Amino acid sequence: MQNNKNIWVYGLIVTLALLLIPIFVFTSRAAPPADSPWDNVPNRATSTDHTYLMEEPFETGQEVTQACLECHEDAAHEVSQTAHWNWESDPVMVEGRDEPISTGKKNTLNNFCIGIQSNWTGCTSCHAGYGWEDESFDFENTANVDCLVCHETSGIYVKGNAGVPVEGVDLLAVAQSVGSPTRQNCGSCHFRGGGGNAVKHGDLDESLYYPTEDVDVHMGRYDFQCIDCHQAENHEISGRSITVSVDNANQIYCTDCHNSQLHEDERINAHTEAVACQTCHIPEGAVRTATKTHWDWSTAGDPTREEDPHEYLQIKGSFVYQRNFIPEYYWYNGVADRYLLGDVLDPNIVTPLNMPFGDIDDATAKIWPFKVHYAKQPYDTVYNYLLQPKTVGEGGFWTEFDWNQAFILGSLATGLPYSGEYDFAETSMFWPTTHMVAPKEEALQCTSCHNDNGRLDWIALGYPGDPINWGGRLDN
Amino acid sequence: MKQLPSKKLLLALALIQGLATLSSVVLAAEAPTPVAQGTPLHPTFALLDSEGVNVLESEAPVSTMRTCGACHDAEFISTHSFHTSLGLDDFGTTAGHLWDSSPGYFGNWNPLTYRYLSTVGDERLDLSTAEWVMQFGDRHAGGGPAATSRDGTTVLGALSADDGNPETAILNAETAAAQTWDWDTSGTTEMNCFLCHLVAPNNEARTQALQAGQFAWASTATLEGTGIVTREGEEWAWARSAFQENGELDSEYVTVQDPSNANCGQCHGLVHEDPNELLVQEACDDTNWESYTTGQIHSPQRINNSGLNLSEKEGLSRSWDIHSERLVECVDCHFSLNNPIFYQEDEDSRPEHLTFDPRRLDLGDYLYQPIHQFARGQSAQNTVAPELFDTMRRCESCHAAETTHDWLPYQERHFAALSCETCHIPQMYSSAIQSKDWTVLKQDTSARDECRGVTGPVDTSANTLVNGFQPVILQSESVDGTRSLSTYNLVSSWYWVYDDPPKPVRLIDLEAAWFDGDAYAEDIVALFDTNDDGRLQEQELLIDTDDKQALIATRLTELGLENPHIVGEVQPYSINHNVTNGEWAIKDCQVCHSEDSLLTQDMQLAAQVPGGVMPEFIDSANTIASGEIYQDENGALYYSPKPQADGLYILGHDSVTWVDWFGVLAVLGTMVGASVHGGLRIFASMRRPKLQPELKRVYMYGMYERLWHWLQTFTILALTFTGFIIHKPEMFGIFSFRYVVQVHNILAAILIANAFLALFYHLASGEIKQYIPQPRGFFGQAVEQTLYYIRGIFRGEDHPFEKSREKKLNPLQQVTYFGLLNVLLPLQIITGALMWGAQRWPEIPNALGGLPFLGPFHTLVAWSLVAFIIMHVYLTTTAGHTPQAGIKSMIMGWDDVETHSSASEEQN
Repeated sequence: MQNNKNIWVYGLIVTLALLLIPIFVFTSRAAPPADSPWDNVPNRATSTDHTYLMEEPFETGQEVTQACLECHEDAAHEVSQTAHWNWESDPVMVEGRDEPISTGKKNTLNNFCIGIQSNWTGCTSCHAGYGWEDESFDFENTANVDCLVCHETSGIYVKGNAGVPVEGVDLLAVAQSVGSPTRQNCGSCHFRGGGGNAVKHGDLDESLYYPTEDVDVHMGRYDFQCIDCHQAENHEISGRSITVSVDNANQIYCTDCHNSQLHEDERINAHTEAVACQTCHIPEGAVRTATKTHWDWSTAGDPTREEDPHEYLQIKGSFVYQRNFIPEYYWYNGVADRYLLGDVLDPNIVTPLNMPFGDIDDATAKIWPFKVHYAKQPYDTVYNYLLQPKTVGEGGFWTEFDWNQAFILGSLATGLPYSGEYDFAETSMFWPTTHMVAPKEEALQCTSCHNDNGRLDWIALGYPGDPINWGGRLDN
Repeated sequence: MKQLPSKKLLLALALIQGLATLSSVVLAAEAPTPVAQGTPLHPTFALLDSEGVNVLESEAPVSTMRTCGACHDAEFISTHSFHTSLGLDDFGTTAGHLWDSSPGYFGNWNPLTYRYLSTVGDERLDLSTAEWVMQFGDRHAGGGPAATSRDGTTVLGALSADDGNPETAILNAETAAAQTWDWDTSGTTEMNCFLCHLVAPNNEARTQALQAGQFAWASTATLEGTGIVTREGEEWAWARSAFQENGELDSEYVTVQDPSNANCGQCHGLVHEDPNELLVQEACDDTNWESYTTGQIHSPQRINNSGLNLSEKEGLSRSWDIHSERLVECVDCHFSLNNPIFYQEDEDSRPEHLTFDPRRLDLGDYLYQPIHQFARGQSAQNTVAPELFDTMRRCESCHAAETTHDWLPYQERHFAALSCETCHIPQMYSSAIQSKDWTVLKQDTSARDECRGVTGPVDTSANTLVNGFQPVILQSESVDGTRSLSTYNLVSSWYWVYDDPPKPVRLIDLEAAWFDGDAYAEDIVALFDTNDDGRLQEQELLIDTDDKQALIATRLTELGLENPHIVGEVQPYSINHNVTNGEWAIKDCQVCHSEDSLLTQDMQLAAQVPGGVMPEFIDSANTIASGEIYQDENGALYYSPKPQADGLYILGHDSVTWVDWFGVLAVLGTMVGASVHGGLRIFASMRRPKLQPELKRVYMYGMYERLWHWLQTFTILALTFTGFIIHKPEMFGIFSFRYVVQVHNILAAILIANAFLALFYHLASGEIKQYIPQPRGFFGQAVEQTLYYIRGIFRGEDHPFEKSREKKLNPLQQVTYFGLLNVLLPLQIITGALMWGAQRWPEIPNALGGLPFLGPFHTLVAWSLVAFIIMHVYLTTTAGHTPQAGIKSMIMGWDDVETHSSASEEQN
């Protein structure tokens, strides 16, 4: 029997092990959190202070771009490959068409200001470039790339016609302020789509500059910037909307960060098979500022009517604005049809310009909330297609109030023949409601939909009746 | 056989419905069969009067018995419905009070509504049947006592007029005399199908018709506002535009439906279903009965989205009621007992080999004769139809709670001791009535009342600041005899009774006692007007002196009432709705397992005690009111639950004071004893020359013995520590109670395993002998050892018994360890195991005194063990040649044993 000096150490270890291992093994621990969304939120890059890097006085925006490129050599080339510059996608095959189509702001119609062709100078004030005045704009010339609109943080940079900085902007001060894009940068164009605050989207407006959490939980409660979700690589910014894009590449999903099965209740988790997160988590659109839901071009041009930017303008016609609107709900699989210049329409029915694809039998489709913008807009009664009027600038409708002339000038720009006969047809445009996510405490409740007067029209969605009684689409 | 054609029609309807269901299953893909919501399947029908003539022809009031009875068996329905009977079926049985005449609303006196249904032979008529219909008919579905005599044999109209019979008389409020009631003029009120089965019945108009005594028109009035009938002054006229040419209602006016929550809410409580409309409620508004008595509100709306002036509302993003939120309707749990969709055979009658009996009542038969006895629970105060107690779906009928409560230690124990409500109704976010004092009358002849869950004065504009309240936890007994804790509001009331056997003083007599004309009697003002302003304010309306009590009693006596005196009672009202989900339910163990246990939270009964009369729980409720009613220094009255009296022992809250004191004293005493003895030893050794005794190295403790010893040491220390946390959790706030409980159990398992292995070792090796005192010479040896500790040790004498591997323990140690290992440790293991076993096989611990005995006993043994350990550690310092030698040998195994002189001689 050896008198081992260290026996007490071994003994202690064995004794404690005999105690602690069972305790560790048999105590139940709280389950790890099902959701750790912060793992997927990028760490924001710290911006370099450019105050002493930008010293020469700048006369034009292009000179600033020149200075940027001295260090960021590839930046302008990268931008020139993106939709922010080209306003047009690469050709994509779309269901129901024979050949690939290439769409974007550059060549398609919407049911707001209708289209940019022949109206470039007005529309391209939001182009990430300088000098897009007509069809001759050279998209290969990257010297016209506008770095500042996305990167300046001074707040004093303003773009005018054709995207050129307006008179009096201190370009040096602006250039010295550059940093990562903020909500202010993105918002300067995207919050004012359609020509003013909140007009177009219904889920993007200037209330997001300084939002409270009930406006947008990500921005209001956690101070998100747009680029925290719309992450970019080589200036290619992620995110898609069927209002301009026809493909679903490079899309952003809630589930990029959140677990779709994170609800405590299995019944609610089961909903994620058929219901988009947005449907419950964005109960209302336009929570602070009313958005345009109807635009009637046919009444435009009447000099006798009283003007009110939210009801009637002589240049534009009459409008309906709505605040806290309840979205419309449709099946949507991420892509949509697209009305293209020259597509024939039936003037007696409402023509959807970008009908979301998907139905109850489409397993990839989910029920989505949409702001639907309805309009009466001009079409050619002989050829039965929508017309592109020239509105902005010389000879345009907004100065002459002559529709005929506006269509002739527009036709010259688009190359689409105009018969000389026009009228106005109903169209609709679908804007997926995906921003302004409400805090979870404000999400829809069961009774919002599963109720006699609930939000969802089950029959129209293809259900035999309320699935709480009839079962979900997989049961039917 | 008259009903046969209509029965066929119903069968056809059922067939259509069945086909629709079938086709939806089979043909869904190609041709879904949409059934738009709110579109009734119900066919059009003619409205018939009591003679069976179309009302368009007779212009008489509609008869539901005739109209609905054309297809459904209305007679069957009305005689199988406690909503019509309201106690008539059990008339003549007393319930909570001596003067009750039924367990239902018709005959069961309630101090909240006060008026007393007079019975035959009452000298003073209070509520006659006719006035009951007028006053209480707003919460009665018609039929029953409003149509039939109390013995159930005669239609009311056929009774002979008699002003001495409460069935045919009415109290004239002006003359205070009884007069006959002419049932022929008023007509009677049939079971009102419309009230519960139409989308928008007009309960207000119905109530007005009842109050006006136009009983026969009540059903017709219910249709006001539907477009079927219009009202001109006191008369109703049928709107011909609502009818087809064949005399039947136009289909758009047929809005028959399954009873919705709103239908039920008309009589039962506040139902608010429109998510877009703000829920508002006046504090303690007595028009919504269950909301008034319990604070329950049936709404899917989130509380923070409601319009209530509720303190700290912003954070309350839970709904008022999770079942309302999840679209579970009243009738889903309170279903018609023969509804083939919901019917479930009783566990007791179902043969064991059958899990489901598919032979259902045919849908057509059901629609012809739907039993209107609805599945019901067993809530306190709702005592009607006792034969139907506990027929409804309870939480566990739908919820497999064990799957969602896997985090909960002692799941079975919790489920057995607690109802789901205890944790899932943690708080009421509205007001409820607290007390009603009918010993005094306010100027408007109502009682002085107190509202629970509000701050400041209660006004009727919904502006009162509501704080809500925590339900009090009482034990209740269900019909099967099981008991569990559940949530209640306690409503106290005080009132005057007179006569022997007693009955409550009529309101009209009380008014006469308090008022002369419209004003308070002068002598009452003189006595009650404490601020001498010549008027009586509400706060002055309190009988708080013998003089005041005597004055009112005298005035009542002057009215001819014998022996008027004040009685007080407490009614428990069950709170079973306004359930919330796990996110908002109580999950923190220490809500109950701590000093301020939820289960022992007092509930205020009243701010003042009228007449100093302590109220008593009424005995018709199934609650076990084992707690204590006490008055605080401000005179406010409280109920304090005493779960220990109900056989419950709440770990972390309950302790027996003397056990803890005994334990503390035992531990302190041991420490003091050891310190004194140790101090004397040090003192003695300093005065004594240091001797270097001869030592002999002995391998005293084998490897296993040491491992066993130290494992046991650590286990017992850790058990003591965790046990102490469980015993007094509020002293160790940083520890998770739940985790500590788990650790304690695991440690106990280790202790047991270690003990058994050691027992095996000692038995197998024969070492067990060392622990067993040898009878021969034991006493003398024990005395010798004791003398050594008292005397010898201070003189530096040798240990009287040499310690050797074969004989490690001296006689005193033998006795002590024998006691420890054979008494204390096993006792602790057994009591601990029984406490743990209370969840698995509760009968055994219950047979051995239950947790209220085992808990304190376990604590007592724990204290004794602690005292022993202190003693034991001290004594080890006496065992060797140096104080540390004993411990060292238990660690290293080798002991330096002093060789005794005899032994050394031998060596020499």
